[in-house]
Amino acid sequence: MTAALVGIGATEFSKDSGRSELQLAAEAVRAALADAGLEPSDVDGLVSFTMDTNAEIAVARELGIPELTFFSRVHYGGGAACATVQQAAMAVATGAASVVVCYRAFNERSGHRFGQVSAAAAVNVDNSWSYPMGLGTPAAMVAMFAQRYMYEYGATSEDFGRIAVIDRKHAATNPHAWFHERPITLDDHQSSRWIAEPLRLLDCCQESDGGVALVVTSLERARSLRQSPVVIRAAAQGSGRDQFTMTSYYRDDLTQLPEMGVVARGLWRQSGITPSDVDVAVLYDHFTPFVLVQLEELGFCGRGEARGFVASGALELDGSLPLNPHGGQLGEAYIHGMNGIAEAVRQVRGTAVNQVADVEHVLVTAGTGVPTSGLVLGAP
Amino acid sequence: MRIGDSLPEWHVEATPTFVISTALATRDFQDVHHDRDLAIKRGSKDIFINILTTTGLVQRYVTDWAGEDAQVKQVNIRLGAPCYAYDTLKFFGQVIERVEDDLVVEVVGRTGHGDHVTGTVRIGVPG
Amino acid sequence: MDVEKEAARIAEAGESARRFARDPVNLPMIHNWTEAIGDTNPRYTGPDAVAPPAMVQVWTMYGLNGVRDADDPLGAMVRVLDEAGFTSVVATNSDQTYHRYLKPGEHVSVTARLEDVTGPKKTALGEGWFVTTRSTWYVEDEIVAEMRFRILKFRPAVAEKPKAEPVRTQVIRPAINRDTEYFWEGLKQGELRIQRCGQCGLLRHPPGPMCPECGATKPKYLVSEGYGVVYSYVVHHHPRVPGREVPFVIALVELDEGVRMLGELAGVPRIGLPVQVVFTKVDDELTMPTWRPREDR
Repeated sequence: MTAALVGIGATEFSKDSGRSELQLAAEAVRAALADAGLEPSDVDGLVSFTMDTNAEIAVARELGIPELTFFSRVHYGGGAACATVQQAAMAVATGAASVVVCYRAFNERSGHRFGQVSAAAAVNVDNSWSYPMGLGTPAAMVAMFAQRYMYEYGATSEDFGRIAVIDRKHAATNPHAWFHERPITLDDHQSSRWIAEPLRLLDCCQESDGGVALVVTSLERARSLRQSPVVIRAAAQGSGRDQFTMTSYYRDDLTQLPEMGVVARGLWRQSGITPSDVDVAVLYDHFTPFVLVQLEELGFCGRGEARGFVASGALELDGSLPLNPHGGQLGEAYIHGMNGIAEAVRQVRGTAVNQVADVEHVLVTAGTGVPTSGLVLGAP
Repeated sequence: MRIGDSLPEWHVEATPTFVISTALATRDFQDVHHDRDLAIKRGSKDIFINILTTTGLVQRYVTDWAGEDAQVKQVNIRLGAPCYAYDTLKFFGQVIERVEDDLVVEVVGRTGHGDHVTGTVRIGVPG
Repeated sequence: MDVEKEAARIAEAGESARRFARDPVNLPMIHNWTEAIGDTNPRYTGPDAVAPPAMVQVWTMYGLNGVRDADDPLGAMVRVLDEAGFTSVVATNSDQTYHRYLKPGEHVSVTARLEDVTGPKKTALGEGWFVTTRSTWYVEDEIVAEMRFRILKFRPAVAEKPKAEPVRTQVIRPAINRDTEYFWEGLKQGELRIQRCGQCGLLRHPPGPMCPECGATKPKYLVSEGYGVVYSYVVHHHPRVPGREVPFVIALVELDEGVRMLGELAGVPRIGLPVQVVFTKVDDELTMPTWRPREDR
């Protein structure tokens, strides 16, 4: 990879932004460009999620970006997050564009909420094997995996709860986090109500309004910009055998995330590092059980061993693998994984509020249970 | 002719004249095949094609494709949605099996309401 | 009236007497048929003409003013079911075997017997009985053709409860396309269908148009026995789901045939629980597969 992340920008994270999704997107992109020291006229590429309601051309109009030579969208909800950066990096590497901005902005709490049952989603034939049967929320879809994972490996609700406790602990000291100064205990988790057994309320990430944008350009150009460049060491997408969106229930084993395994192999191969070289892990945490499975797929521990790994304290800021120092989506905000990439950039720059010492490599993952993506970011 | 070969798609326009003339040519005088008023009174949308005609169409579809030397040995059909007057009945087929020296062709006849007929035709093909 | 007893009586009577066709096989009727069907196959015309095999039943139709013979088993069974309230009829299957082609001048006769009566079954049309008869056509003593014929005699579903309009409840409805309609259609007929590759036999659920194993695009299906075990499950509490009372259980069931399928489970869930399918009619347009603990375990 010869591309780098040179700017990050975001709106505030709230439950009711009070403005349109396009305005959120435009504000985030403008903030990211300002962070990079670039002008809208420098931008010639835009990438987002297919789920984003803001067209590239609409964002370009608001920003006054004159011409675009590259625009692209990535599918599968939160699985798109790191892949937007991969798209940008490939565009820069091939010369399709020179400065590409990745963005995601929505009123996910005050507007269309993903956590509700969407009758519209069932117009998709794939979803017709789950929604009409009563399985119609992301939480319930993940719970089906979690139940089997508990059965096979003896994991408990408390093992899932420890992820929520860590995220909320980190968010408590992050002024940008929705749950700033509001940590929880394992007892809080255990006494929170059922959403879809075996998942409790505190296993499920919050819903947020907000926007995040990331600026990508060539490493060569990055060296002359305002910020110290954050190099994209690896960027990978992954989809597994017999893949469905959230309901890959027809594979032999329900305790794995093979699509994340595909991403992991790509990341380790491209970056040349191994799991032990990772200084900070920003793992997608819309639901706690999949954080455990990711630790196994990425090779930080063996199959079924994540609960021991988590209980050992490894994920604390001073542990062997600090997890989501910004508080993750459970603690900071749910911006479909994009706020995690911004945090990874800050950790490499050394400017995070919960800064981990001597960061060389940060791993970021995108949505779980769906075709997904990942990044390894590093210092130049 | 090999297993997996597809038959060309064939469309039959089920005009009222077609529904009635085939019903009479197969000596089926049930009113639902020729009297629209009575058909509607019996809860039907319109007059519709009778089974003997469906059997005949399935046979024709296969022999039109296989040629005059093909010997029809079996026509097994399962009936679904009625084929009403003014429907277009679309036939699809594929060779799916060899039994002894015969070929088995699977046939589906479909209208806008769904599958009107699904079935198989077993034919002997010389040489 | 005891339908099964009557059916047994009619089946016991066995084969009906031979009934001759009104006319011998003849060219004018063959030509009427080929003209109407639009069949231009040259074998059905000229001096060596044969009759289209699919015409075999035509020769022995009762015709405009015909009256069924007293020993005709289908007529007898229809009367029994009419009296029992199953007044509507629809033909479901016709399997014809032709031992040879017929030539003009041959005079065919037919016999029929009652092969099977099963029911009452819940179908999309209403509760009914499937009646299967077997007909045999002869030229003198030679069997020239045979037919298995099945009808459904049913009590129209709408007659049960007068309704202003079809009930369409507020549940999330499946999107159905030509790859998946067989599954939903099967549920309406009380069949749990599993896609089966027409070429290599791979069983697959959820289904798709092309076999991932052999590449064939000829999917068929088999009808599951409807038994399996719970592979995983969820107890859904929140948020509300249209058309359902919370909490409820959704099970991922591994069927004995080897595929997995989701559905609501009535009962206390646990992984490994043996279950059997229940066809739950949601409304006039939708039947869902649901699960209950297996009774014999």
